[in-house]
Amino acid sequence: MTSQVNRCTVTTGFFVLGRCGRAAVAACGQCGRPVCAEHATGALCPECALAQGYAPQDPHDPAWVRGYRRRHYERSSQTYNDAYWYSSFDEYDRGAFNPGDEYSYGGGDFDDDGMDFVDS
Amino acid sequence: MFWRKQRAAIERFHPLHRALVLEGGFSVSLRRDDWEPVIQSLAGHAQHVRRRKWALPVRAQRVMVPLLRVLAADMRRDGVLSVAADMRGPDAPGKAGPQHDLPARRPVLSVKQWYTVDPWLRMRAELRDGSVLELSVTERRRNRRIRKRNPRGKIKIKQKSKSVQVVQVVRRLPKDAAVRRPGSPPPPWVRVRVKQGSRLVIRATAKVAGEQAEEQLTEGILHVTTEPFRWTPPGAAVRGAQ
Ligand SMILES: [Zn+2]
Ligand SMILES: [Zn+2]
Repeated sequence: MTSQVNRCTVTTGFFVLGRCGRAAVAACGQCGRPVCAEHATGALCPECALAQGYAPQDPHDPAWVRGYRRRHYERSSQTYNDAYWYSSFDEYDRGAFNPGDEYSYGGGDFDDDGMDFVDS
Repeated sequence: MFWRKQRAAIERFHPLHRALVLEGGFSVSLRRDDWEPVIQSLAGHAQHVRRRKWALPVRAQRVMVPLLRVLAADMRRDGVLSVAADMRGPDAPGKAGPQHDLPARRPVLSVKQWYTVDPWLRMRAELRDGSVLELSVTERRRNRRIRKRNPRGKIKIKQKSKSVQVVQVVRRLPKDAAVRRPGSPPPPWVRVRVKQGSRLVIRATAKVAGEQAEEQLTEGILHVTTEPFRWTPPGAAVRGAQ
């Protein structure tokens, strides 16, 4: 095993999913996934924070899109009667620990400075 | 001077926010991150401006902003996101077509009918997988103006209208993108056309009910937008891009 910097595995994007890929600074207190400074909301990763009911309802809030995303995949897979559509999202989102997983979307996500508009 | 404070607040808004308030729209191409100050400026609208004349179009905050968020989430920071918004509404000049008469029978004296076509939102986003997404929403309204004599002999004029929102989404995939046909067809209200070529083009068109809350409209638009992405589901899309 080669030693590697731990990368943040938070899912980014809406239709075109990717992984954050910034250097992790902590592990989520709930699920243990590595998270970067941007994605550590308190002691939790954004997904676990959402699961605990911390979902902004206002689209002006940069964190809104993440909470809306899971709801959208649930509803749109019903609209299209396409269970695979939801499960492929869900698997991607939960599959954050797979070794050898691609971290960022062709490098697009892995921005060096901290200010990332699309993520909370 | 009246409204001095609110007028001053509008002067401090982001120029695109100001254009929405004073002109009812804008047409602009910005890099992804340059949309954030626009959204933040819009977020503060109600706090600073209460005069009805300067109200923000409801669709700007409840449809355009969520769509900006969704598209931006799939972009690189240097990707360009273009928006042409015309929120003046279907009654703005130039949107009504010619009137014509429909057959009328007593007590109806005359029926005039005309259509208004209001393309009020167009967006184009360069996505991070190399595909380009174009989205447009057009309100089509049928109007009828009915002149009628009531039992007491008085002439009454009634106007009726019915509208639909036509949503069209086109996604142009990058060359040699990994594509798979979705396992289920779209629902009957979504029409899909796929053009094969060096770049696959997927076009989804649908009419969604015109008179519904903006949140439902946004959801409807995003459901139509979903179809072109079902051809590259999450896992597959990532592998295809490597
Ligand atoms: Zn977690
Ligand atoms: Zn992160």
